Amino acid sequence: MAATVLLPSGSNISVKVHPVVLLSVCDAYIRRKEHQDRVIGTLLGVVADNVIEVKNCYVVPHNESSEQVMVDVIHHKTMFELHQKVAPHESIVGWFATGSDLYNSDALIQDFYSKESTHPVHMVVDTTLKDNKFSVQAYTSRTLALGDKVLATEFVEIPCDTIFGDIERVGADLMLTGFNDPGPESKKETANKSFSDEAETLAASMGRLVDLVARASEYVDSVLAGKVAGDPAIGRYLADTLALVPHLARSDFERLFNGSVQDAMMVTFLSDLLRAHVALAERLGTAALPIV
Amino acid sequence: MAAALESGAPRAHKELVKTVQLEGQVLLKIIQHCSEALPQLVTGQLLGLDVGQQLEVTDCFAFPAAVADDEVEAESAGANYQLEMMRCLREVNVDNNTVGWYQSANMGTFQTVELIETFINYHENIKKCVCIIYDPQRSARGNLALKAIRLKESFIELSKEQKLTLKGFQEAKLSWRDIFVELPIKVRNSNLVQALVADLMPAPTATQADVDRLNLSVAPFLERNIQSLMECVDDIVQEQQKVSTYHKNVARQQQLYAAWLQKRRQENTQRLQDNLEALPEEDPTQFKPIPEPSMLDNYLVTNQIATYCDQINNAASEAIQKLFLMEGMQKASL
Repeated sequence: MAATVLLPSGSNISVKVHPVVLLSVCDAYIRRKEHQDRVIGTLLGVVADNVIEVKNCYVVPHNESSEQVMVDVIHHKTMFELHQKVAPHESIVGWFATGSDLYNSDALIQDFYSKESTHPVHMVVDTTLKDNKFSVQAYTSRTLALGDKVLATEFVEIPCDTIFGDIERVGADLMLTGFNDPGPESKKETANKSFSDEAETLAASMGRLVDLVARASEYVDSVLAGKVAGDPAIGRYLADTLALVPHLARSDFERLFNGSVQDAMMVTFLSDLLRAHVALAERLGTAALPIV
Repeated sequence: MAAALESGAPRAHKELVKTVQLEGQVLLKIIQHCSEALPQLVTGQLLGLDVGQQLEVTDCFAFPAAVADDEVEAESAGANYQLEMMRCLREVNVDNNTVGWYQSANMGTFQTVELIETFINYHENIKKCVCIIYDPQRSARGNLALKAIRLKESFIELSKEQKLTLKGFQEAKLSWRDIFVELPIKVRNSNLVQALVADLMPAPTATQADVDRLNLSVAPFLERNIQSLMECVDDIVQEQQKVSTYHKNVARQQQLYAAWLQKRRQENTQRLQDNLEALPEEDPTQFKPIPEPSMLDNYLVTNQIATYCDQINNAASEAIQKLFLMEGMQKASL
């Protein structure tokens, strides 16, 4: 990958993208009108320090030919106002385009967006899957000027990363573990996981934890056997983690354990009792009779 | 059960929705919107297509929280927002079909009268609509708490005829379980998005979700659930009191009516003796029949209790499993 050129003024802006945005862009790309090659739209988000967090996006209809570019500004403004009503803290942080390269007309569009926000970020989402990889790149623009005359605008690449909120991870997890075999047949059963199958997911979590512990112990074993050079930082980290496991005296542990189990069982008993009560009342018809 | 309804009645065009299919981006949008808006509860619209027995949800957008002071103003602002949004989305080829709405719920409380009213409102325009309930607090424990529900056909008809009383329910053979139908949800992604997801996701090592799930502290969650359950039981007792007051009122009214009727009869015999006309023995203005209280609240609260009980059972059994696992590990290390 080409080395990223940081802006000379020392402002290292970096971009973090939420996966919602990327999915929306893909969806918009699939739905584009027939004569269009690519889709453009506005990015909404928040800016904190030098990190631009892109949280939402919407598509703006546009028309481009080799000579000129037309962007539907009214649509853009209307959608922005609508979004402001729902999320007033989000602002325009840039724009996105699908496709693999930068186009000539991008400079003009970037110009338009720099009137809307101070450092518009241009995000290119590669939907053509060049090099069998799905790449997302972010650029910011720099004007090259000779004295007072503006010659050209240059797009400078900035680091771009995908972040997952904790809760999004759960949803994303489900989507991933749903399709291990993305063949056309399995699309019907894709991700048909029952959302409320909690026992199974607990087992899966435990399985993953066991996996991790096995890997860590393998690493320690190989370091001890001298096969792999040990890294003291990792060693210290492992030691710290293991020290966090509380060593309880047997009687203390038994007490805690029994207490918690009894709490859980009592609660289950109460809720079953309530349910049986309601069912009984319904059967006997006393739920709707006057209390004599 | 639904098939029997269909084949019984000669309504060939009405197919009931059996499953709901969500696109990945709808799922993520709902999650993002609901979790960011905590602790406020929010709603949004679902757009998509209905394909026979499956309802495909392809897009969604959020509703602004109603902050207007004037009720009428809020309604028209909401309607305007919706129209504008749909118009803009149509320009970019998004499916312009409303198929329902989503809302966030607090600890699983969603069975309210407003929900039923919204359903009925929607039902007048679109025959197949679904409501997606997302519970952000339960999802913080590591499992996605997403549910799709719709009203049962028989219940819709009953409420249209305004016969939400006990007799009405008994005639239609509906119990409190028959108000809502929960639909299974599937998540589907287009090929491009699948490629994206496969690229983005790291290998399945333990994630934050796992850490949440393996959390041993279950007491606060149970406490909150039990508290809500207690409130529900209080509500049910109130409902029962309403029913018993109704019966008492009816009994008292009967008594008064009998007394008045006797007096009237006496007067009439008197007047007949005086050769005057007999007064009518019925007086509709004085003894209006008291309306029977609706059983809807009662049934909704019972439904809510069932949901809480289910939640508690699930959480408690999960807690017991985790505790026993812990015990096993401790025994092994000792």
